[in-house]
Formats: sequence, C-alpha cells, structure tokens
Amino acid sequence: MEDYKFLFKVVLVGNAGVGKTCLVRRFTQGLFPPGQGATIGVDFMIKTVEVDGEKVKLQIWDTAGQERFRSITQSYYRSAHALILVYDISCQPTFDCLPDWLREIEEYANNKVLRILVGNKTDREDREIPRHIGEDFAQRHGMYFLETSAKEAENVERLFMEIAVELMEQAKCKELPKYDGNLGPINGGVSCRIRFFVYIFLIRKLLQ
Amino acid sequence: MDDDLPTDFQVIVVGTGMVESIVAAACSRIGKNVLHLDSSDHYGGLWASYNFDGLQKFIKEVNADPKRQLQVYNLIEKWYIEKDSPQDEKKEDDENKTDDTKSEPVKKIWSHASFTAEYRKFNIDMTPKLLFSRGPLVELLISSNIARYAEFRCVTRVLTWLNDKLMPVPCSRADVFATEAVSIVEKRMLMKMLTSIVGYNEEEMNNEFKDWNDKTFKEYLSHKGLTPNLIHYVLFAIAGGTNNMPCLEGVKECKKFLMSLGRYGNTPFLWPMYGSGELPQCFCRLCAVFGGVYCLNRPIDKVETKTVDDKMVVTIDSKSKTLNCDHLVIGINECPKNLISPEPAESCDISKAVFITNGSIMPSEKEPLTLLRFPPLTDDDNAVTVLEVGPATGSCPKGLYVVYFITNKVKDAESDLKPYAEKIFDMSGGDQTQTADKPKCLWSLFYNVKDTSAPVASSADAVHVCSGPDAGLDFDRAVEQAEQIFKKICPGEEFLPRAPDPEEIVFEDDVTHGPEFQREEDDADGDAPKE
Repeated sequence: MEDYKFLFKVVLVGNAGVGKTCLVRRFTQGLFPPGQGATIGVDFMIKTVEVDGEKVKLQIWDTAGQERFRSITQSYYRSAHALILVYDISCQPTFDCLPDWLREIEEYANNKVLRILVGNKTDREDREIPRHIGEDFAQRHGMYFLETSAKEAENVERLFMEIAVELMEQAKCKELPKYDGNLGPINGGVSCRIRFFVYIFLIRKLLQ
Repeated sequence: MDDDLPTDFQVIVVGTGMVESIVAAACSRIGKNVLHLDSSDHYGGLWASYNFDGLQKFIKEVNADPKRQLQVYNLIEKWYIEKDSPQDEKKEDDENKTDDTKSEPVKKIWSHASFTAEYRKFNIDMTPKLLFSRGPLVELLISSNIARYAEFRCVTRVLTWLNDKLMPVPCSRADVFATEAVSIVEKRMLMKMLTSIVGYNEEEMNNEFKDWNDKTFKEYLSHKGLTPNLIHYVLFAIAGGTNNMPCLEGVKECKKFLMSLGRYGNTPFLWPMYGSGELPQCFCRLCAVFGGVYCLNRPIDKVETKTVDDKMVVTIDSKSKTLNCDHLVIGINECPKNLISPEPAESCDISKAVFITNGSIMPSEKEPLTLLRFPPLTDDDNAVTVLEVGPATGSCPKGLYVVYFITNKVKDAESDLKPYAEKIFDMSGGDQTQTADKPKCLWSLFYNVKDTSAPVASSADAVHVCSGPDAGLDFDRAVEQAEQIFKKICPGEEFLPRAPDPEEIVFEDDVTHGPEFQREEDDADGDAPKE
C-alpha cells in the first residue's frame, strides 16, 4: 500500500494566464517554468507533505486550458476537497471575472469545499489590485486569502501547506465533504499494477 | 475573448455528445490538433445531465422554440405538489445526519419552492444509460486511464414486473440459490441454461442455434423446458426482450448480461456518479489535457468543403470567423442538412419520461439503485426500461428518487409510458406524508426524442457525422461508432492508448528538484518492487 494517510483533491480555477500551472509546478517540483504555454499531457500533480507527523497526499488538478474560452467541464469540480481561485494582481480583468468563477463554483462544487482566493504574481511591479481589495473580496465570500508569487516562490509552500493542515483538521472533525461509500474510480483498486508500470517506465528511462 | 481562437486545426469537432467527445479525445491523444465546439453553454448535447434549474431552462427552450431542439418534441412537464411548502418546515439538512443507516421517519413535504431551493443537488439525465461491467466502455475507460475522471456506483438490483407486482430478478449464482421465488428444480434448470449460454464458443453457438435463426428466443426457452416464471426472468429481465425477440439476439443479450456479472457488484451494471452526462465530459477532459482547445457557446453558421492542392479541407463559419480543418466531426444535431447523404431512413423514435418521487419503488435497507425491466403490458407495446437512482448517486437531494423510463415510441411519450408509471407510482398528488405502498410521484416530464442513432453517411469524405443517443441500455454503439470514425481519420493509429499517470511524466525542463520534492527512494533506483 502507498504510504500516506490522507488523500485530498485540490483544484485550481481562474482566468488563463494568471499562473495556475506555475503555482502547481513551483509547489510540486520546486521550479518555475518561464513562458510556457498550456501544459500538454499533464492532468494533475501529486505531492505528499507531512502535517503533524502524518503523511498527506495532495492531488492538485489544473484546468487543462479549458478556462480559456470558459469551457471547464462540470466534472472537473466534482469531488474536490479544496478549490483555489486565482487572479493576477497585475491584471484587473482577471479580478473582475471572479464573480463569474464564483457562480460556476456555486453551481458545480460541493458547498462544503474549502475555498481559497489567491492573488498571484506579487513579484510584478505593475500591481493593479491592492492587497486589501482582494482581502475584502475573499472575506465577503467566505474564502481564505493569500497573495503569492510562483516566480519568487513566495507563499506557495505556505498556500498548499495551509490547505493540507486545514483539510486534515476538517477530516479529523469529519467536516469534510464526503465522497466515500461509492465505488470510486473503477480502476481504483489497481494501484499496485500502476506502480509496476512506474517501475517499468523508470527502468526504461535508465536504459536509454 | 473569442477572437484569440486559432483558426487552423487538423480536426474540428462540433457537438459534445458521447460519440463526438470520444472521437475528440482519441484524436487529441495521438497528437492531432483538435478544436472542440458546442453551440450551447454546457457539455453533452442530447447526452447532457441538468440540474433542476438547467432542466427548467431546457424545457422552456424546447417549448419556446421547437426549431432549436429539433430532436425533442411532445414535451410535457407536470407537478403533483404545491407551489410553496405549507407550514414550518423542519430544518433537518445534512447537519444532523447519522451514518446512512436509518432513513428519518419524518417525511419532508416537497414543493416547487423546495425543488428550486435545492436545484443544484439534482442531476437529471437526458440520456440515462448503464455500463456493462465488462462492456466496451468500461474496458475503454480503464485501458485509456479516463476512468480516473469518473466515479461509479453499482446497480444493486434488477427487478421485473411479474404477476402484477415488482419482483427481484436473481442475477448471480448466489441470487439464484437464495431466491424463494423459484423452486429447486427451476433453479437447477436456470443455472444449467445460463451456464450453457455463457460457455458456448463460436462454433458451439453455431451448432446449437443453427435451426433457430428464424425463431424467437421465447420459443427456444420453452423448448429448453423452462417454466413460465423462468422464461419471464430470462426473456424480459435478463435479455430485456419481448415475446417476439429473435432467438440469436436473445442469446447474445443474455451472454452480455452474464459475462458482466461478478466484476464489481451483485448485478452486471454500473451507473456513473452525477449521471451519464458526466461521461462525455471525461473524454473532453482527456482531449484538453492533450492540447485540445475547448469552446462552448460557439454556434456554427456554415460548413463548406473544398479541395486545395488535391486535399480536401473543411471551412466553418462561426461568429464571423472562418475556421479550417482537414476533418470535421459533427453531431447529427448540429449538422447542416446538405452534408448528410442520403437522408436517414425512417426509424423508430424514443419515448422517455423522468419522474421525481419521494421514495423507492421497492424500499430496501440500503439505498437501492435499480434497473427494472417492464415486459410490455399490451401486445402493441414495447418493453420499458426503468432506472431508479437515489441521492447517493448525486442525482437528487436526500429523500427523493429520480426514475427514468425509456421505450420505443408507439404513440407518444405520455400515452406510451403513463400506464407503466401508474403501476409503480401514486400519481394522484395529495398528502405526501401519507404512507402508501407506492411512492408518490412529485414531478414528471414526458418527451419524445427522434431516433438519430443510425449511422449516417456524409456527402464528403472529410466530414464525419456522429449519431445521437439510441434507446439501448448501454453506450456500446456510441463507443463502436467513435472508434470507426477515429479509424477513418487516423488510419493505423491506436485508439485511446493509456494516458500516463502523473508520476510517470518526466518534464524535459526538469533540471532541479525543489528541496521538498522527493521521489520515494525505491522508485528512484528502479529496483524490483518490494511487496
């Protein structure tokens, strides 16, 4: 069996270009990919963190570019434990779209999902949205708030760690949205086989 | 925002129904440059699931402008409850729920208002379908790794209508032996017959059934000495047939049913969480992950094919923009008539109904998920398929059930299906707290859908027309058609090879790892797996 006690699904939404993928990659891989386009073939990233001595596995889902023309599938929101709504502090339109995103979240996400508003790109000199405006918005809509810079690795670790801590607390008080009791993914029981594929894959890589 | 939509693609897919979405995913997966459009603001087309608000909009749309939704007609919505809830409604939401053991004794009184208030807890399917546990769609979802986008529940029981009441159908070997409805002798007979059907290989099949080509399945079953009860179970419930179902078709259906037993639950069927409308979206997600561009709310105005440098190209006008592609994959619902050749033949339309009730048709200890196969009540009727799904499937709020009825059209949806509904629901309205032997129907919707499931040839090689939903129980035809279309567009390519898991993806720009990022050690050396 895999070595973790909790598995949480975290999804990111927000306009194209606000730095969702950069946040994910900064956190999971510790790097900042400059000027990349949409990431091909990457579905979600996984990182295991430790909270109070317990292993927590975060499965972090990106939009796969479907936000570009406001065409995210409803199923993307299903079963999420936490939802990160991102805007770019140097780009007013990305902030103006937040109510649209909230409407979509209301409609499709579980109403108990943990919501975090993130103003990204604090490294930019040309800030358009003052911190307190973002804070106000978050407060009015019952969301946590944080400003980050994926580029400078500022608050990124903190963002995900706080999510992990909060979700774990909720899990312990059983406040988490419940997705159990169902069959789950139909190939959920074959993690051993998948791990086997991983080995094969790595061995192949080594032999190349 | 629309203006930065690129204009040149290898494949453009119009419509997000099941077939279109599978083709889009398959093309994108092997590296084709795909644009996927839909004229409406949601995924799925005729395969969509709606929450209660979305459904109301859909109904209004069809009634206001029948031309927009050409495929849906005879739509009748009815309420059997008051506009507003009467007195103080006891607030007993999810807050104080105990583990899903006992259902609370106090029955909630539902009204239009309470439906509206909980609109987002409904996911009502336009094309409810089940998956056979070993059917082509389940195999495809697993082999392509698309299964990770969806969750499923097992259908817990199969029922039939026998001697004017609901009867559970023994599905598995354990069921057969546990049931009290059939005698020991019958059990042996049934097991022998079922085992032999599963056991036949091609040759034995031909041998056993060589004289049965023009006979009915019922005749075969009687010939095998099955009692009327058993014939009923096998013919109507397991094979889903009617009195004149051809023998070979019956055998095939039985085999399909039996082959899917024992994989996930007590019955051969799976139901997608949040409804069948989730499934096309799973394929769309894969398409997007591999670079497919998505744009809803994007109607198309004109499609033209022309030859440029000996190569056929398709141009599409959409919102005063011209899009070009080598292949156009288009849902029949969206396809301009001049591209279809010849006109699809006259076919049998589908009658459908959705009911929302305040209890299960046959209450059980744990929340049931039911497939009921109604034999025809009169000789003119067709068999009726009924699916009952509850709150645990994400289809409706607690305390309610959504029940789907599907049959081939004879007259119109209401006259075709109401007699069946009345057998199992109390459709009189009235006091919801009254405990009767039948659940109360609170809301109903009847409608007919044009049968657009027959494969349609297009007038140009570069245009591929996708069929609409059929009346069948599963998605098999959609999967089969999608694969055929894919093979035409990408000859020789693999159909939806397995998508890698996140752990397997190695980024080319992976030079340094962050301090916190550690691969598990045994992964890194590539040693043989330990236990």
